[in-house]
Amino acid sequence: MNLKLHIWRQKNNKAAGAFEQYAVSDISEDMSFLEMLDVLNEDLIVGGKDPVAFDHDCREGICGACSMTINGNPHGPEKATTACQLHMRKFNDGQEIYIEPFKNKSFPVIRDLVVDRSALDRIIESGGYISIKTGSAPDANDIAVPKAKSDVAMDAAACIGCGACVAACPNGAAMLFTSAKLKHLNVLPQGQAEKKKRTIAMVEQMDKEGFGSCTNHYECEAACPKSISVEFISEMNFEYAKARATAYRD
Amino acid sequence: MKLDAKIPEGPIQDKWTKHKFDIKLINPANKRKYKVIVVGTGLAGASASATLSELGYEVEAITFHDSSRRAHSIAAQGGINSAKNYPNDGDSVWRLFYDTVKGGDFRSREANVYRLAQVSVDIIDQATAQGVPFAREYGGNLANRSFGGAQVSRTFYARGQTGQQLLLGAYQALAKEVESGSVKLRTRKEMMDIIVVDGKARGVVTRDLVTGELETHLADSVVLATGGYGNVFYLSTNAQACNVTATYRAYKKGALFANPCYTQIHPTCIPVSGDYQSKLTLMSESLRNDGRIWVPKAKGDKRKPREIPENERDYYLERKYPSFGNLSPRDISSRSAKEACDNGQGIGATGYGVYLDFKDAINRLGKDTIAERYGNLFEMYERITGDNPYETPMMIYPASHYTMGGLWVDYNLMSNLEGLHVIGEANFSDHGANRLGASALMQGLADGYFVLPYTIGNYLATADLKKIDADTPECKATVKEVEDKVNKLINVNGTKTPSYFHRKLGKLMWDNVGMARNEAGLKHALEEIPKIREEFWKDVKISGTGAEYNISLEKASRVADFLEFAEVMAYDALDRDESAGAHFREEHQTPDGEAKRNDDEYRYVAAWEYKGVGQRPELHKEELDFENVKLAVRSYK
Amino acid sequence: MLGFLKSNILSKFVVAITGIILVGFIIGHTLGNLLIFAGPEALNTYAIGLRDLGPTLWVVRIVLIIAAILHVITTINLVRQNKKIASGYKVSNYKASTFSARFMGYAGLTILFFVLYHLAHFTLGFVDASTFNMEATLENGRVVHDVYSMVVIGFRNVIVSLFYILAVSFLGLHLKHGIHSMFQSLGIHGKKFTPMIQKVAAIVALIIVISLISIPISIMLGIVGGQV
Repeated sequence: MNLKLHIWRQKNNKAAGAFEQYAVSDISEDMSFLEMLDVLNEDLIVGGKDPVAFDHDCREGICGACSMTINGNPHGPEKATTACQLHMRKFNDGQEIYIEPFKNKSFPVIRDLVVDRSALDRIIESGGYISIKTGSAPDANDIAVPKAKSDVAMDAAACIGCGACVAACPNGAAMLFTSAKLKHLNVLPQGQAEKKKRTIAMVEQMDKEGFGSCTNHYECEAACPKSISVEFISEMNFEYAKARATAYRD
Repeated sequence: MKLDAKIPEGPIQDKWTKHKFDIKLINPANKRKYKVIVVGTGLAGASASATLSELGYEVEAITFHDSSRRAHSIAAQGGINSAKNYPNDGDSVWRLFYDTVKGGDFRSREANVYRLAQVSVDIIDQATAQGVPFAREYGGNLANRSFGGAQVSRTFYARGQTGQQLLLGAYQALAKEVESGSVKLRTRKEMMDIIVVDGKARGVVTRDLVTGELETHLADSVVLATGGYGNVFYLSTNAQACNVTATYRAYKKGALFANPCYTQIHPTCIPVSGDYQSKLTLMSESLRNDGRIWVPKAKGDKRKPREIPENERDYYLERKYPSFGNLSPRDISSRSAKEACDNGQGIGATGYGVYLDFKDAINRLGKDTIAERYGNLFEMYERITGDNPYETPMMIYPASHYTMGGLWVDYNLMSNLEGLHVIGEANFSDHGANRLGASALMQGLADGYFVLPYTIGNYLATADLKKIDADTPECKATVKEVEDKVNKLINVNGTKTPSYFHRKLGKLMWDNVGMARNEAGLKHALEEIPKIREEFWKDVKISGTGAEYNISLEKASRVADFLEFAEVMAYDALDRDESAGAHFREEHQTPDGEAKRNDDEYRYVAAWEYKGVGQRPELHKEELDFENVKLAVRSYK
Repeated sequence: MLGFLKSNILSKFVVAITGIILVGFIIGHTLGNLLIFAGPEALNTYAIGLRDLGPTLWVVRIVLIIAAILHVITTINLVRQNKKIASGYKVSNYKASTFSARFMGYAGLTILFFVLYHLAHFTLGFVDASTFNMEATLENGRVVHDVYSMVVIGFRNVIVSLFYILAVSFLGLHLKHGIHSMFQSLGIHGKKFTPMIQKVAAIVALIIVISLISIPISIMLGIVGGQV
């Protein structure tokens, strides 16, 4: 198939960016979206032009590195699919495709489609862990965790940290990401001791990073490659308010 | 060079305990005066950085990813072994030790493996306390499953994302230490070379992938946790960025590279569909529990699978290995697929694929049961290939998956290059010639959480380290070397992309140094590799400059090292004139096609010393003594 | 007192809680207005009944005014921040977001202007003083403010009616998204509950829109208020 691509090109964080148009031909429908970009890049390099920079690594939908907005959808049109697992058979011959970086003021562009998502790491650093030092853990079966709770923790922990939720949110909120991590740790017995502190710290770091607020569009859930539920956002709202209301006791 | 593995004296059960008592300690208040650089933030690197920081050391953790949560440990699906014996089915530290040594086809170091089995128990405790959501029984206790043909259920798992969850546990532990200020995390910086001063590893030179700036990082010891070299085959299940540069650079600075020919091939991956293919996706081996593997009997049969009648199909695994059939071990299953395809019976567009057919299982168990067992895998397969495995058989083919070889280390996980510690897949130590399923996660975390943090203390306490800074001649010289390499790459200004050479090398390696090897093929590879390398340095094309975010430069720099490393691998495979584990020399097989070891002549670790580009490296042998397990021949008939 | 504005989540709580108060008011107000179909006596009795509440009425009014002010300034503050961080894409393509969700701000502002006008018109009498000062005599002989006639005459003006219909339609969209959002913001969410409350919100919004719009339409068609 042949495609007309409009790709956001930006030399670095300081430079102004613009869309550039590229025509790619003889694209196999068995290619992944990133392989299609590889083909374009090979041509660009041979032609002495700069290849399109984009983040990617595992190419099997789990590392969370790939991050591009395809025709207005982070990771593209497929449900629960990262850009690296999106295949060209989902597109039509002759289609025009707009490829943009994940857009959010807290995700500054590094080059082309590569953005800096370290704000998400800083949210984790602010409290997204259970403080247990290596070697001091009790026997794993000392703490029984009801299967239902363990399953919910796993649902939340499935987050790959790609930032598509942020990129998809019309308000630029990072609430799905933050709430999923909070839920993962807050639902487990191991996470109880730090629950309140963690909730307050992570939510406030999220605000500090400048992320927006949820107005319940649920675009995040629809864009999430792991279909993480907005239920966690709702719960985070309540838990944060509760933590703030009872903080005086600590 | 005499290779001293520094294995502690005494009975194997007591070696680690005794060693921990014997090693020198550093006063808690003094630990912060020591600095350790950890390169790589996968399971091994993140767990080591976090633990060293908890102990009080100053740590600088370096990763070329944008975040310390992306390393390829994250893609491990199956699980992690541990000798917990929760299912009460007769498992023990001793049994895990024995299985691992046997699984490695008696080419690993007993003392290291025993220690691995011992600390495997602590890993599960640690990960659980961190909040890793392992699968649980209804009673709330941890669930186990049997994995990779083990006779006991010792594998802990978190759905099909065990690697992800364990990595997130380590990443969170690391995040906690970053927050506390005692770990400095450097992201998007690639280690380009190692700084050696007075024969000791004292730092690394990195290239900032955003600005192109070369930076010097100095410390009292350097830890490499930079993973394996499976991408030498170009196509593998590894992530795109996985490369050999860090370990290969250390090798060029004097560290020995051990057993590079031990590379594991995974039998059930989605086959190549075209030249553009960038990676091979692994499908869980569990599929083989219910799928039947076959190819058409006739060569070049291009009919649709459902149009090929039963009597014209060759269920080759069931035919050749009637008792294990479709569940034959990874290497046997992989080689049989290659044989069938080499014989012209391969299927799919490229002829490199075999069918994995669920029709009988669906007829027997019903579609619902199959969907319950493999629904998510079938979905993933359909997403990638566009085929529905409920209707038409899956196509699979083996792919490079894990590399058992790596930098040589002693019992303390220190290389022969003093001060350089190597952990996780990057070292060679625990898996011998083949790795058991669900043991990679175990080894990475054992090294990072429970072994290195002790043994590195002994080195720091006893090493005589002089004060150095960025102006020390050795530091400046190393930066200069890196700068020259970058400039040299950019100045070639040829006509072919770095990937072109990587693909070419990969195909050569896959065909000749892949899952089945012979003398003629290996010699052919040794002739061809230098030619590709020469062509590369004459004709590679990189766009842009060294002073910017430059993906073609990154790639070229890694390919350049693969082009040198590939030769070491081929030399090792040629030298090891026996079959052992994943290293299969066609000259050495039993009449049934099983690997035939030669314990009298090759019961050693082959550790290679760099002698110059294009020069045959020098072989050093570490003889392996088996005092606790009896060397046996495995049989899966 | 406005410290909560610094927190996105606490802001959302304030929006949700004030939203509940305002929704309650709208439902009550709609029910009261529907008395117009029962004739002048019923509506005017209801109106004077409210007046007779005296101080209680003022408490209710103050609560409503504060709720409205907080609702407006908090949302304006949130929208301003959100606009700063999210810049949008060249191609807009939504998978889940509804028109009503994206229209919340515009609908809200329109409603705000409408409410101010509506108050000026029917509560403060700034728009048409002559109709505002009309009087009616109830069956019990009490002379009261003739709300019925005021409304009927007001809505005979086509422009006033059209503005009203437009604003009420926007109110419907605002409620459709707002009513379910209140629960989500306050932490009330469930796999069955949330889809259910989304449907309920849409139905409630629709009923309110139909009820309110029926008044000016009936008046313009002469079905109601022919005798005024």
